[in-house]
Amino acid sequence: MTASHVGKYAAFSRIAATQARSERHELYGRMAFFAVILGVFSSLWRAVAEAGMPIATDPKSLVWYLAATEWILLSAPPIHIQIQEAVRRGDVVYRLGHPVSYVVAEFAGALGLLAVRAPFLGLTAFLCAFAFTRWTPPLAALLIVVPFGFAASALITALYLGIGLLAFWLQDVAPVYWVWQKLLFVLGGLMLPLECYPAFIQRAAAFTPFPSLLTAPASFVLGTHFMTPGALAGRLVIWSIAIALGVTWIFGRAVSTVTINGG
Amino acid sequence: MPPAPAVELNQLSKSFRVRRARGTGVGARVRDLFRPEQHTVSAVDKLSFSIARGERVAFIGPNGAGKSTTLKMLAGILQPDGGEVRVLNLVPSRQRRQLAFQIGTVFGQRSQLWYQLPPRDTFELLGRVYEIDPRTHRRRIETLSSVFGLGTLVTTPVRHLSLGERMRCEIVASLIHSPRMLFLDEPTIGLDVSAKAMIRELLWTESEREHVTLLLTSHDTGDMERVCTRAIVINHGRLLWDGSIAALRRSFLKTKRVTLWSEAERLELSLPGVRVLSSGTYRTELEIALEITPLGQVVDAALRQAAIRDMAIEDAPLEEVIRALYAAADDRGAPS
Repeated sequence: MTASHVGKYAAFSRIAATQARSERHELYGRMAFFAVILGVFSSLWRAVAEAGMPIATDPKSLVWYLAATEWILLSAPPIHIQIQEAVRRGDVVYRLGHPVSYVVAEFAGALGLLAVRAPFLGLTAFLCAFAFTRWTPPLAALLIVVPFGFAASALITALYLGIGLLAFWLQDVAPVYWVWQKLLFVLGGLMLPLECYPAFIQRAAAFTPFPSLLTAPASFVLGTHFMTPGALAGRLVIWSIAIALGVTWIFGRAVSTVTINGG
Repeated sequence: MPPAPAVELNQLSKSFRVRRARGTGVGARVRDLFRPEQHTVSAVDKLSFSIARGERVAFIGPNGAGKSTTLKMLAGILQPDGGEVRVLNLVPSRQRRQLAFQIGTVFGQRSQLWYQLPPRDTFELLGRVYEIDPRTHRRRIETLSSVFGLGTLVTTPVRHLSLGERMRCEIVASLIHSPRMLFLDEPTIGLDVSAKAMIRELLWTESEREHVTLLLTSHDTGDMERVCTRAIVINHGRLLWDGSIAALRRSFLKTKRVTLWSEAERLELSLPGVRVLSSGTYRTELEIALEITPLGQVVDAALRQAAIRDMAIEDAPLEEVIRALYAAADDRGAPS
């Protein structure tokens, strides 16, 4: 890839970031939603702990764990919706006609959105988690969550891209997204660390990318590593390659059978 | 050796598989759910034509005729099922990215502008996409903004632009990389009369100024007449007519409309092939079937009744010519 190639895809990131900044209200909405979620769950974990129910770790750590997993998840822009709308309206015809890789251009644009969202949502996560627990995990733990969390968000974005490409056949990708989302919630350990789940779920999750996307990076705030940073980095690289190949294959199939809505 | 044509199609074909509902009953719907019935629709059927460089061609056909599908195959967005196609000496389906640098596309019902941002941001993005030197790009934007009268529109968010203003910006976006060929799919759809006139004028001017080859689809015959000199008419994916717009008129224009202003209050003209469209005091509007009664014979008959103060002779609108062409094709059965 030459410098001009990098420059053209960076331009997609820049314009998407500019658009994200112009759509501030959507970001504020996400931040408010995030604060509410953390408020509700911090109360819930406190109540559960007071009732003496078995919880793997202390409630404060769990609130920070949830802040990390939600930050990773909410930072990832839902580009499957944009792709689905572009396919439905037929606007995709312009993107397909440009001298760029459609997949890379979409992904670059999504990274631009991610670059705007992640810092704001990260700040919200930090402030809310601190406000609800009056406690912070060690700085070293937070510093390691940030790069891994950002990488995991990027990977979730790539998966959204793959789901979005299915719109070339399905038109409506919502059912696929719902299944994917539920799998991510359970096998990724969105609410609770994966160690709290039954052994058979943990075994099943090991064959999927989901633990590397949520529970592994978020577990650093618990002080108990689900994976070592090295192992997680390796897993993220392997899953990135697998997802890139999968998305490329889906797109190749899509363009050979594409029909553009509206003639 | 003459330059290669801008566009060359040889037996180009494309079909789509579409689902067909078996019926409205519960059983039929359940069967549709598990074993949908599919059939193949031929959108483009062995279409052949060529377009010389610098030509302005109207690509005409009713809804579902295969115009947009053909344009998308020419732009390399859709892959043909059969036949050959070359655009600017490149094969679109295999050399899409190379071709993209040399062609521009305008799809009237679609948008390539980023909706929340001013057009300038999209223009900047396209400068990068088409790898244009920044200084050349700046000059190009200035020139096109001036020709298309964009002024402050370039800094106004797209969501605040009217449809006509947005369309001018869409066309500028498509011309930003100085394409040698421009494909336009209904560029004036939904526009008011003055916006249409402006877009037509700009397209014509830009094509003349930069010698850009145009292929334009539209249901508005005004677009064809003002911008193009040649028409290619298709129906059911097949070629019906290929020739100049003037020749199209001559071939299918069997009637003329004549308005007579006479000294007599009323004219009584009962000639074969002559239909009175309206008759007022001192004014008579006629439709004359020229194959049955020549125009001169009608005028002679009118003069025998009264002196003629004035007379206007008009061709039937191009819509009627095209309708006649479709009707003739339908009468022949499968058009070819």
